[in-house]
Order: sequence, then structure tokens, then C-alpha cells
Amino acid sequence: MTSAPASEPADVSVSARTHTSPAQYEQASSHGKSQDHRRNLLLRLSGAFALIVVFALTFELTCRVEDWVMYRMPLASPYRSVEDLIIRDADGMHGRPNAQFQKWIMNNVGTRGPRASLLPVSGTVRIITVGASETFGLRESPGHEYPRQLEDSLNARLRNGACPARADLRVEVLNAAFAGMTLPTIQQDVRNRLVRLHPAVVVAYPSPASYLEAERPVAARPDSSPNAGVIGSRAMLHPRAIDRLRDQLKEMLPTAIKSWLRQRETDAARAGVAGPLFSTPPADRLSAFEVDVRQLISGIRAIGSAPVLVTHANAFVGRRTIDGDKLIAWEKFFPRTTGATLVAFDSLSRSVEFSVAAESGAVVVDATRRLASAPDSAFADYEHFADLGAALMASAIADGVLATEPLARICSRAQAHFGN
Amino acid sequence: MLFNSYIFIFAFLPVAYVVFWALRNTTARYIWLTLTGYVFYGYWDARFCLLMAFSTLVSYGAGLGFLRWSDQFRRKLCLVVPIVVDLSLLAFFKYANFGLETTQAILHVAGIDVRVPHLNIVLPIGISFYTFHTITYIVDCYRGVIRPTRRFFEFSTYVSLFSQLVAGPIVRFRQIEQDLENIGTTSRTKWLERGISFFAIGLVEKVLIADTISAFVDPALAQHQLLSTAGTWMAMLGYSFQLYFDFSGYSTMAVGLGYLFGIRIPQNFNSPYKALDPSDFWRRWHISLSSVLRDYLYIPLGGNRGGEWKTYRNLLITMLLGGLWHGASWTFVVWGGYHGALLAAYRAWGKTWDRLPAVCRRIGMFGLAVVGWVFFRSASFTMAAEILHRMFVPTGGLSVAQAPLAAVALGVAAWWAMVGPNAFEMSHEYRWRGRIVLATGLAAGLAIIAGSRSSPFLYFQF
Repeated sequence: MTSAPASEPADVSVSARTHTSPAQYEQASSHGKSQDHRRNLLLRLSGAFALIVVFALTFELTCRVEDWVMYRMPLASPYRSVEDLIIRDADGMHGRPNAQFQKWIMNNVGTRGPRASLLPVSGTVRIITVGASETFGLRESPGHEYPRQLEDSLNARLRNGACPARADLRVEVLNAAFAGMTLPTIQQDVRNRLVRLHPAVVVAYPSPASYLEAERPVAARPDSSPNAGVIGSRAMLHPRAIDRLRDQLKEMLPTAIKSWLRQRETDAARAGVAGPLFSTPPADRLSAFEVDVRQLISGIRAIGSAPVLVTHANAFVGRRTIDGDKLIAWEKFFPRTTGATLVAFDSLSRSVEFSVAAESGAVVVDATRRLASAPDSAFADYEHFADLGAALMASAIADGVLATEPLARICSRAQAHFGN
Repeated sequence: MLFNSYIFIFAFLPVAYVVFWALRNTTARYIWLTLTGYVFYGYWDARFCLLMAFSTLVSYGAGLGFLRWSDQFRRKLCLVVPIVVDLSLLAFFKYANFGLETTQAILHVAGIDVRVPHLNIVLPIGISFYTFHTITYIVDCYRGVIRPTRRFFEFSTYVSLFSQLVAGPIVRFRQIEQDLENIGTTSRTKWLERGISFFAIGLVEKVLIADTISAFVDPALAQHQLLSTAGTWMAMLGYSFQLYFDFSGYSTMAVGLGYLFGIRIPQNFNSPYKALDPSDFWRRWHISLSSVLRDYLYIPLGGNRGGEWKTYRNLLITMLLGGLWHGASWTFVVWGGYHGALLAAYRAWGKTWDRLPAVCRRIGMFGLAVVGWVFFRSASFTMAAEILHRMFVPTGGLSVAQAPLAAVALGVAAWWAMVGPNAFEMSHEYRWRGRIVLATGLAAGLAIIAGSRSSPFLYFQF
């Protein structure tokens, strides 16, 4: 690289010597040197630029190849985040069929998990789980989100004689949850879409914290326009490297600094909000939650399914010491309220679910209590489960599902049949 | 803190590097390197810094003792006391539960059932390595091989140098003494390119090769009892390459980091899977450990000076203890014993072995090493027996996940380990093409770390 330019000043000097005076020669020589220097600089800069381009392209390509190797995610996938796995169409808001982002794989009917037929296969009881990110499964390893573990747990119990007369009975769990799915949206999805999947049981795990936003939650507005939910092909050019680097940057920060930044963000959001600020659990929001839970139970029954309500669990109830960093992380998403209010509202919503279930005869699973005695490692953060927490959830809900009317009916009828 | 983490590469290392070269004074650089070593080590568990500091003080004190006293009794005291202290710490933290469990098992065989308590001890990371650093220093001082240093921070730099602190190489003081002496005047640019190059090659070895292989080896060996014969061989071949590239990658990165701070850390792996016989293998695998075992255990035991049988005995003792050094488990002891037996067998019948064509000897030695890794990898003898059974008795069962991809990864690893050059055989003076290759490797490695696949080095557990 250095030998070629180095020979050029010599040529310049030869021509300068033959046609010019010494002063002019000096001038020409220094001019040649400066040109040579500039050329070298240019070469170096373009070399550095080429290296940066190669580096960036390799980085991006490696991200894509690794996503393919690890998750079989297409190299040119248009999906860039978990949010892209949600679609808003004529049915309302729900999972996007056949979409995939890393470990999160949606099936043909827009639920997370393996492929499913529209109608349940004969001899299979279909259960649908609905809820927000805790149910969708953000932090568990693939296949360990609680709906998947619920299916495994129920099938294991059935094989081990939970329904002795129908040893061939199998359970299929469809996970229709998505991040941010509120109770009114669940009701809408049950009414418009899930009814077509003919579930025998619908397990609902509502997130009460969504009632502590500026407005009480409403169902996502359906979108009947022809381009509803279409993701443009340019999305596949979105650099995945940037997302990875951003995540790494977050990871690199010590917890104390992360908490400080979150707290600042929350404080800034609080300072800028109009509307109510909740320093104690607001009674009107609790009433709204109660109304929505009642409507959900009616809605589930209206499509011929049995409801199972699950009380909300978090990483704070039953703990000797409160993890301040986790609480700050939770507060960040609900700046209108305090951490203490979030925890208190969660506990009050548990009582509401119990009373509604008692009145309506629905099965209720007390996940709050079950997870309160679990090790800290059951939670990956303030409310999302780690594999262990998801396993405990699955085990608790399995008890509830087996107590529902459809399962009890199938098993007792079979027993009666076999008894005769 | 792992070398293959963003916090290390983009936060710790740049700060350590910039401040180090901004300091002009030798002592200031010693203090800075000591400080960075303690921060690096304390990132796992700050409590263990006290342990390392204690070990450093004791050994440094012994060094001063050697300088002060010349009578044999006190010199022996300076030799024995710190070694006993260091080995006692190692024994307690690493082998206490192992000893208790073994005692319980022996008593049980003797018909005495005693419940021995299990001590809740956390193994301080890297203790096996820095204990060997201090012991080799003390022994070399006693033997007069080196002159003990009076400068405390020079010695503390040697013990806590972050590039070789937690997983070696086991660098002897004399190997870096000159670089430590010259640390105040060394040139920053002299080895910069070489340092970056070694670090990048090590990163590629660890992240692109070892971690990629581990993605199919670990799940396969977790269900080893279900694997077919082909699947078991694939998993064990994979593990053999994973272990090599993991540890070699770490060592290469350590060498690169050393260069960045003007310290030449010696080679630890010289393409061991190119070895033609057991003796050659141990001259190439974990060179720093095998040379320490040779100089501080095998030769003091008598080496090969006492006749054939004593040589075999010394080989076996050395390798059994070498195995035990790797972990508090009888499977490691058996692994060590297996290699001791191989070395003894080669000594007895080496002439016959050496008549075989080189390619047969290389493949044969690799096969013998793979069989040894079964004990090294297994958590119990039941697991080892199951794996060996499936390797040598044709059995049906599962293959490894993503077998075609695994085969490609194994092919690349096999080529590099058995045919290709190691980091010390490569040129580190780059023209543009070389720089582009280096940038490509670095980018691919960093992209994978940026995902969530960065994993600890296997040798950290030892």
C-alpha cells in the first residue's frame, strides 16, 4: 500500500529539476509532498471507512444468521420486536398469525405456540389462556411460558390418572395473550375471534395495573381498512444490530444507575401528566376492574366456555424485604401511581376476583398466594415469570382447570359410562 | 466480568488502558494494574478480594524473608509457611466438601454410617490459578531462580494481573519479571496491533467456535442416556473442540491483553490436537500447567532418575494430582490417572507407537484424548460409563440437535485445531486484507456477544 505512492514524488522531482529553477523546484517538491500526503490521508480514510463498513455489515449479517440458527427466524424477517407480533384488524387487537420474532413464534391462528387447527382435534380439550405479557411469556426460556407448561402439566396429570376413565384424553393450550392485553380487549377477542376456536375453558390472568393509567382501559378499536396490520417490506431492512447494541448498553449499566435513570424518567413523566395521580388505590378504578371481570366471565360463558380466573402475582407480596429496584422498574410503566399503590391495587384486585368468582360460580386460582411463598427466582422482574415461576403458575392453574365443569363433566360421564 | 462481555470490552478495558498509559511512573502503573485486577476480580464477589490480598501479603512477606535471611532453617520456614497457608486456603475452599464426602463413603464401606455435614462454601473463582502463581514465586525464590522483589506493588501486579487472574495461563514470575521491571518505560504502540490481533483471535475462538459448538453439545450431553452411538461421538467430539477453543480462546485473549499493557504472557496452547503421542500432547495442552507440574512436582518426586518403575510412579502421581487440581471430583482424578497411564504406556512402548505413520499417530492421540474427556466432562462415573458404553457399543437413539449445522461447526473446528495455524503461528502484522479479516472476526464475535449468548469460560470452574 505504501510503495506505490512513495515512487510518485521522485517522478515529480525529476521533471521539476529539468524545467525549473531551484526555488521553483523546492516549491514543486513541497507541493508534490503535500499532494502525496493528501493522497495517503485519503487512502487511509477510505481504508478506515471500508473497515467500518465491513465491520457493520458483518455485525448485522451475524445477528441475522444467529437469529436463524438459534430460532429459525428468516434472514429477511420484517418483524423487529415483540410488538410486531400484534395485529389490529376487523376482529380488534390480537396475535399476528405466522409471525416470529426470535423465540416468540406465533402459529397459524395467531396464538403463541405450535400450529393449531380451527376446531379442536377429537379427544382433545382445548384451553385458551388470555392476559398480558405475563401470560404471553416475555422472560421465560422458549417453551417454558406458563401456558406451555400448563399443557404439559395437565397432560401429565391426565396420563397419571387425573381422569381415570378417559386415559386417552388430551389437553391443548392456545396462548392468545399479548403484551398489553387489557380486560376489555380480552372480552372483545373472546367475542370476535376466540369463539371460532371453540375453547372448552378460557383461563384469564388480568393485569390490574392497567387500571392505573390516565383512563380506564377500553377495548382496542377494530380496524377494517384493507391495509390493516400490514408491515411494509422496508421493515426487513431495519438493522437488528442496533437493537442488540441498545439491549447490551442497558445490560452494561449497574442496577443502581438503571434505577436512578428509571426514577428520573418516572419523575419527569409525573411532572408532565395531566389528570389524576394515585397515591392510594382509586375506588372507581377498582369498581371498573370489577365490572370488567364480571363482563369477561359472562362473555366467556356466552361462547360456551368455562372461565378460570387467576389472581395477579407480583414479586412483592409475601416478601420480607421489598426489592426497591424492581418496584422502581414497575413504577416506570405507571407514572401516575406509586409502587406502594401498585402493590396495594394488585392485592385489592385479588379480593375482587374472589368475590366475583364466588358470586358467578367461576373457578378462581389464587396465584398471588402460590407465588408469594415461592423463591425470589420465580420472578424475572417485578411481575414477569422466570421458568420456575411459570412452572408454579402452571401447576396452580392445572388444579383450577381440572375443577372446571367441562373437565369434570367429561371425566364423570366417562366414569359413569365405564361404571355401567 | 468476562473477557467476552461488553462491559469488559467497552468499559473496563478502555478505562484500564487509557489510564495505564496516561500514568508515567512505574509504581503508579503497578498500583493501577493491581487496582484494575481487584476491580475485575471483585466484580464476581468482592469478598474474595480479601482472600487474594491475604495470599499476596503472605507470599510477598516470604519473599522479603528470603532477602533478609540466609540460614537454611528460616529460609525453609519462608518456603513452608506460605505454601501451607496457600494450600490450606485452596484445600478448604475447593476440597473440603470433597474430603468430607469421601470420608463418609469410606466409613460407609467400613460399615460405619456417619452423616458428615455439607459445608456451604462458595469456590472463589480463579483460586487454583493465583495459588499456583504465588507458590511458584515462593519456590523459585527459595531455589534462587529469581530474586524476590522488594516492590510490593510489582508483586501484587503479578498476582492480580487481570489478564491471567482467573483462568491462567499460570505465568511464573520469572517469565514476566523483565516486562514488569520495564513497565514504566515500555512503548504503547510496540505491541498494540499484536495485542488487538491476539484478543480478536481469542474472541473468535471462544465466541464463534466454542460457544457455537456448546449450543448443540450441552443439550446433547444433558440427555446423554438417550443418544445414539453416532450422536454420542458427535457430542464428545464437539465437547473436545469446545473445551479446546474455549480455553485456548481465553488464553489467547489473555496474551493479547498482556501485549496491550506491555507484558508478554507465554503461549498456553500449541495446537494440542496435532500431538502425535501423549508426551507431545502435554507439551502442547495447557503448557503453563504441565510445565508447573513437571518443574514443581514431577522432578522433585525424582522424575525419571530412579529407574523405570519409579518414573511410572512419578508420572502417575503427577497426573493424578493434576487431575485433582482441575476439580474436586473423582472423575477428574480418574482423568488424570488415565493420562498418567497413557504417558507411562508411551514411555514403555513408545518406540512401537512411533513407527506408525504420523497421520495415524495424530488421529490415534486425538481419539485417546477424546476418551479422556469423557471422564473430564462427566458429573459422575455412571454418566461416564453410559457415555463410553454408547460410544463403543452400537446403540440406537437420538442424534444431536441441528445435526447438519453441528457437523459444519465441527468441521471448521476440526480443521482449525488439527490442520490450521494457532494464534502464535499467525502473522500479526496486518495489511488491508488481514485487517478486513480481523474486522470481520471481531464484528461477528461482538454481534454474538451482543445477543444473549456470551457464556463463562469452562476453565473458570477450576
